[in-house]
Amino acid sequence: MTAVVRFARHHLLTAYALLALAYLLLPIAVVVLFSFNNPNGRFNYTWQGFTLKNWGDPFGVPGLWPALQTSLEIAALVALGATALGTLIALALVRYGFRGRGAANIFIFLPMATPEIVMGASLLSLFLAINFQTGFWTIVIAHITFDISYVVTTVRARLVGFDRHLEEAAMDLYANSWTTFWRVTLPLIAPGVLSALLLSFALSIDDFVITNFNSGTEVTFPLFVWGAARVGVPPQVNVVGSIIFFAAIGLMLLNVVRQRRPQRAAAPATATATVS
Amino acid sequence: MGFLHRHRWLTPYGLLAAGLGWLAVFFVVPMYYLAATSLKSGDIDFGYAFTWAWGNYAHALGRYQEQLLRSLEYAGIATLAAFLISYPLAYWIAFRGGRWKNVLLLLVIAPFFVTYLIRTLAWQTILADDGPVAGFLRTIGVLGADGRLLATSFAVVAGITYNFLPFMALPLYASLEQVDKRLVEAAEDLYASRPVAFFKVTFPLSLPGVFAGTMLTFIPAAGDFINAQLLGTPQQAMIGNVIQSRFLVLNDYPEASALSLVLMLAIVGIVVVYARALGTERLGT
Amino acid sequence: MSTRRQFVQRTALGGAAALALPSLAQAATRADSKSITISNWPLYIDIDEKTKKYPTLDAFTRKTGIKIKYLEDVNDNNSFYGKVAPLLRRGQSIDRDIMVLTDWMAARMVRAGWVEKLDKSKLPNSKNLQPSLQHPTWDKNREYSLPWMTFMAGIGYDPKKVGYEITSVDQLLTDRKLRGKVTLLSEMPETTGLVMLSNGDDPTRVTDASFGRAIKKIQKALDAGQIRQFTGNDYGPLLAKGDVLAAFAWSGDVVQLQIDNPSLKFAVPQAGAIMLSDNMLIPKKGNIELASTFMNYVYDPAVFANIDAYVAYPSPVAGVEKFLAKTDPKILKNQLVFPDARTRARLHSYDPIGADNRDYKELFQALVGA
Repeated sequence: MTAVVRFARHHLLTAYALLALAYLLLPIAVVVLFSFNNPNGRFNYTWQGFTLKNWGDPFGVPGLWPALQTSLEIAALVALGATALGTLIALALVRYGFRGRGAANIFIFLPMATPEIVMGASLLSLFLAINFQTGFWTIVIAHITFDISYVVTTVRARLVGFDRHLEEAAMDLYANSWTTFWRVTLPLIAPGVLSALLLSFALSIDDFVITNFNSGTEVTFPLFVWGAARVGVPPQVNVVGSIIFFAAIGLMLLNVVRQRRPQRAAAPATATATVS
Repeated sequence: MGFLHRHRWLTPYGLLAAGLGWLAVFFVVPMYYLAATSLKSGDIDFGYAFTWAWGNYAHALGRYQEQLLRSLEYAGIATLAAFLISYPLAYWIAFRGGRWKNVLLLLVIAPFFVTYLIRTLAWQTILADDGPVAGFLRTIGVLGADGRLLATSFAVVAGITYNFLPFMALPLYASLEQVDKRLVEAAEDLYASRPVAFFKVTFPLSLPGVFAGTMLTFIPAAGDFINAQLLGTPQQAMIGNVIQSRFLVLNDYPEASALSLVLMLAIVGIVVVYARALGTERLGT
Repeated sequence: MSTRRQFVQRTALGGAAALALPSLAQAATRADSKSITISNWPLYIDIDEKTKKYPTLDAFTRKTGIKIKYLEDVNDNNSFYGKVAPLLRRGQSIDRDIMVLTDWMAARMVRAGWVEKLDKSKLPNSKNLQPSLQHPTWDKNREYSLPWMTFMAGIGYDPKKVGYEITSVDQLLTDRKLRGKVTLLSEMPETTGLVMLSNGDDPTRVTDASFGRAIKKIQKALDAGQIRQFTGNDYGPLLAKGDVLAAFAWSGDVVQLQIDNPSLKFAVPQAGAIMLSDNMLIPKKGNIELASTFMNYVYDPAVFANIDAYVAYPSPVAGVEKFLAKTDPKILKNQLVFPDARTRARLHSYDPIGADNRDYKELFQALVGA
C-alpha cells in the first residue's frame, strides 16, 4: 500500500507544482499569443488572425527600441549595484553579532514597507532640493534604493543556517578574509546572490511608479507601454515581452546544457589559477 | 586586511557601511522630506508651507479607514493564497528540480519580464465575462447566470496574488534548497511517515523563507493600486489608489504623505507582531 | 569559474559603456544649439509604417535645420504636472521647449505664469486655427497656446449587443439591461460634463449646484450596481470583448476599435457631448523662437493633414480637407474625425476653472473610490 500512496503523493506534488507553474505562465501565454495577432486597427485586444509580421519587425514602433535599451542599461547597472550593496549587508546581519543589529534589521526592512508611490515622490523631492537633474541616473539611484532590501532578504534567506565552520577553516587556510570571501563564501551563497541579481534586474525592468517620478526626459520600457496604452498597445510590445522571456529561458537552458559536459571536474583547478 | 583582522568587531560595520550609507541618503533623507510634507498646509499652485498641520492625519484616517482596512485584508488573503500556491512549487523545484532548477526558477520570475500593465491586461482577457474561465464556472454552477469574475474582489485578490507570487516563491525556494536532504531522509526513517517528517523537520527549517516570502508579498500587496484599478470597481478601491490619487490627481502632497506614513506604520506594526508570533530567534535574524 | 570571471569582466565593460552612453547622447544634444525638445502624448503624431520614422518631424528638420528630440512622455496631465511643477515653481528649466497638455491643465499653467508667450511673428499660420477654438476663456487670444489636437468624449457601444441605438446618457445610467456592463471615464471633466449635459446643465460654466447634481446622479447609478468601473483607456479591451456594453469613450479610440469591429458605434448624445483640446505650450525657459517656428510648421494644413490622418481626431487646423481629399478621401466621411455641422453644434467644452476646482475633484475622486 505504501508504495502506491508514495507513488501517488510523488506525482500529486508534481501535478500541483505544474499547475502552479501553469498559473504563473498563463498570462504570458496570452501575451505571446497576441504577439502573433494581426489587428487592423491600433488596438491589440481581440483575436483577428495569425501573422508573423510583428516578429519580423519587433522594433517597428518608433520609441520602442530606445526605451527598451534604456531599461536594459538601467536594469543591468541596478542589478549589479543593488546586489553588491545588499549582499554585504546580508553578510553583516546574519553572520555577525554587533551593537545595533536589531535596529539595522528593522531599518533594512523599512524601504520595503514603503509604498512605491511614496518612495518615488519622496526621492523626487530630494533630487529637487539638491538641484539634481532627473534622468537616467536618478532612475538608477531610485531603483537601487528599492532593490537593496529585496536583495538583503533574498540573500539572507540563503545565509541563515549556512555553515560558518567552512569559512573559519578557510580563514585558517588562507588567512585572508578577501580570499576566503571569493573562494568559499561567495560560491556558497552564489545561488542566493544569483536569485538576488535576477530579482533586482526583473524588478528594475518592470518598475513604473517610482520611475515615472524620477525619469526627467528619459523614457523606459514600462513608461513607453503605459503611455502607449492611451492609444492602444501595439503588438510589438507583446513581441518584445516575449523576446525578453524566451531569451532569458534560452540562456538558462544553455547553461544547463553546458553544465552537463564532463570538464566540470577540472573547474576548481582553473578557478584557482584564475583567481590568484 | 591586517587592520580588519585585528579589529574583527569592525568587520560587520564595514560590510554595512556602503549599503546603509546609500539608504541613509536616498531613503532616510527623502523620508524626512515626506514626514515634513505630511505636516504642511497650502496648495500645489503656490506651494506648501510647514505649519505642524496634524489635521492632515486626522482627516486622512477619518476618511480612508475603509480603504486602509480593505488593503490589509486583501493583502492578507493574497499572501495566504500565494503561500499555498508557492510552497509546494518551491519544494518541488528544490527537491525534484535537479539541474533544471535554474530554468524553473526563471519561469517563476518570468511574469516580471512582461510589463505589469500588459500582464494585468492579459488577466482581463482570461477572466473576461464571456471568457473560458467564467464560462466553465457558470457551467458547473459556481457562478450565477449573470455572475462575473472581472470587476469583483475575487479578480482583485487573484491579480494581486499573481503579481506578487514570485516574491513568495523565490525566498521559499532559497531556504528549502539548503535544507539538508540527508536530514530529511533520517527524519523519514525516524518518524516513518513523510508528512510527520515534513512538519517536524523540513517545514521548521524553511521558516526563514516563509517569513521572508510572506513579508515580500504582503508589503507590496498592501500598497498596490493597479490591480484594484484594472480588475476592480470603486467598491474594491485600496489605500494605494487613494495615495495615488491624492499624490497625482489632486496634487495634495501633505495628505498623501500623511496617508503614506500611516500605511507604513500599519505595515511595520503587523510585521512586528507577525515576526514575534513566528519567533524571530528561530529565524536567526 | 573561469567563465564566471570573464562574465564579471564583460559585465564591467558593459557597465562602463552603459555609463558613458547616456551622458554622451546628452552632450550631443546639448552641444547643438538649433534643437528643441517636445513632450507629447504617445502615438499622437504620424509614423511612416515602412521606415518607422516620424516623417513630419524629419521634414521639419530638413526644411529648417532645427533638430527635434521628440518625447512621448505625457501619460496623464496630473502626473506630468506633478513632475514639472516643482521645477517651474523654482524658475528652473524643465528641458522642454514644447509640452502638450489638455485645456484645463494648460489653463493652470497659464494662470501660474509658467509658460512663455508665443512669438506670433514666427507664427503666420496660426490664422489657420479653427474659428471655434480661437478664444478659449483661459487664453482669450491664444497668446500662450495653440491646440495640437481636439478630441470628443461621448458614448461608445455595440448596437448589436445593446439591442437599440443609444441616444442619451440616462440610458447608460438607468437601463437595467446594461447593469454592471457600463464604464465611465476616470477623467472628471469628460464624465461629469456628459452627465451635466444630460441634466440640461451647461458644462462650460460649472456651478456648485450643477456639479452636485451630476455627482448625485452618478452616485445613484453606482449604488444601483449599474456602473462597473471608472476607466482610463482600458475600457477599450472591455468594450472590444463585450465585457462592457456601453462606455463613456473617446472618439479616437472608437475609430481604432471600429477597424477590427465595424459594428461598434460612437454616439454623440442628443443632449450633447464634450469636446476638449490638447494644447502646445512653451514652458518657461523654453526656446520661444524655435518652438514657435515648429508650431507654425505644423499649422500648415498640408502638414497637419498627415498628422490628422494618422491620429484620427478632429483637426484644430482648418483646411486639411483639401489635402486629405487626395491622400485619404475615406477619412473625410468619418463623422468622428470630421463631424458635420449638426454634430458640431452639440459639442461643448468644459469649464477649465471648474475642471481644476479642488472641491469638485475631491467629490469626483470620492466617487471613483479613492
